[in-house]
Amino acid sequence: MNQYLITFRSVTYAQRGERSLTRRGISCDVMRTPKWMEEQGCGYGLRLRTANIYKSLDALRQDGILWRKVYAYSRDGKAEELTL
Amino acid sequence: MIYLDNGATSFPKPPEVIGAVKRALEQGANPGRGGYGAAMEAARVVFDCRETAGKLFHCKPEQVVLTSNCTHGLNIAIGSLVKPGARVLISGFEHNAVTRPLYARQADIRIAGKRLFSWEELLDAFRRELKNGVDAAVFTHVSNVFGYILPVEEMARLCRQAGVPFIVDAAQSAGSLNVDLTGWGADFIAMPGHKGLLGPQGTGLLLCGNPGTPLLYGGTGSQSRAREMPQDLPERLEAGTMNVPGAAGLGAGLRLIQRQGIRSIFDREHRQAAACAQQLKDLGLRVFSGPHQAATVSFQAQEDCETLAEYLGKQNIAVRAGLHCAPLAHESAGTIEKGTVRVSFGHTASDDQRKALITAVERRRRSGGRL
Repeated sequence: MNQYLITFRSVTYAQRGERSLTRRGISCDVMRTPKWMEEQGCGYGLRLRTANIYKSLDALRQDGILWRKVYAYSRDGKAEELTL
Repeated sequence: MIYLDNGATSFPKPPEVIGAVKRALEQGANPGRGGYGAAMEAARVVFDCRETAGKLFHCKPEQVVLTSNCTHGLNIAIGSLVKPGARVLISGFEHNAVTRPLYARQADIRIAGKRLFSWEELLDAFRRELKNGVDAAVFTHVSNVFGYILPVEEMARLCRQAGVPFIVDAAQSAGSLNVDLTGWGADFIAMPGHKGLLGPQGTGLLLCGNPGTPLLYGGTGSQSRAREMPQDLPERLEAGTMNVPGAAGLGAGLRLIQRQGIRSIFDREHRQAAACAQQLKDLGLRVFSGPHQAATVSFQAQEDCETLAEYLGKQNIAVRAGLHCAPLAHESAGTIEKGTVRVSFGHTASDDQRKALITAVERRRRSGGRL
């Protein structure tokens, strides 16, 4: 299981994402995104632990929920943007 | 009190609504700002309200903008679609919440349908005006004075066919009639949160099929470095701190409506209104009733409408007299000079309420009132 952060343009989209994933049994939390990830300043994301991030992204896509970026966390806590 | 002024606001508010407002005041901070528990709790309450509204009105949660009342929503919608001097088609039964923003833009207003309860006359005139060319249309779903239900589905279809953007004022229908943003293809549908949706005063919803133009500019809790408002709904149209207790109460009202079912709410309220109209007619009053009528009935007596309403108020019966902020509707119906007394049933509609009103009117006659 790896930890990921999916960022969104607003809290509303992050909340829609949370409902979409939770409905499919994928546990996640809405959180403020680290400042350095947001070029425009202030944003929200979904933090989740999963073995298959693509399954979660497919779920969001199916529900028409647009995300901005996806970051993967390494064991030492560093986040790196995933190129999808 | 026998409360028959639900056209103004629903009263009393259901216990679930009051409880939700209290909880939000105790537990919720500022939504969409911080990431700590109380801020996230407030954000959850707001999102729950949007999500429930989206299910009831057939749209996505982000298409549900929280406003401070229906007038606020209509001002955003009209500001988004109507340029100064634009030609705008409206019905003959619009509220000042529609006409005043249009007058303020010096719109070239075209009016279709002035005959009460006549869908045929309205639709003929509506088709004619669309054919002549208009830039936008704004129309009410239900007249706040007469309870007249307009054929909005057909009006929406005609607008779509003509490629005319349109706004629906659902002030008197949301919560008791089907309202469908996606099905109607509306650019905007505005509604209060505190009438048929049973929420607190100072709440409203604007359903957006169009990104809209902000009426207010300011903080949204996101994309803070951008000089412009965000492109995304709902934040684009929601600058500033939101009314979280209001959203909590409105969310509770929406869930109550979901449980009861819109059709059963309409049937209960309409049954009382129809019986009330007949009984008032039997007493010799001039009653405005007909097909396509919701739970509101207007009537006139020989005596001044305000005098009669004042008498009823002293009998502990709450009704509203005068022009109801809808002079155009009164002009259309020929009641602009005398006004009417308006009785509007709501979620507490009952035989007892109706009987109490009729008894009070009969008492007025016995005590020398000119009916």
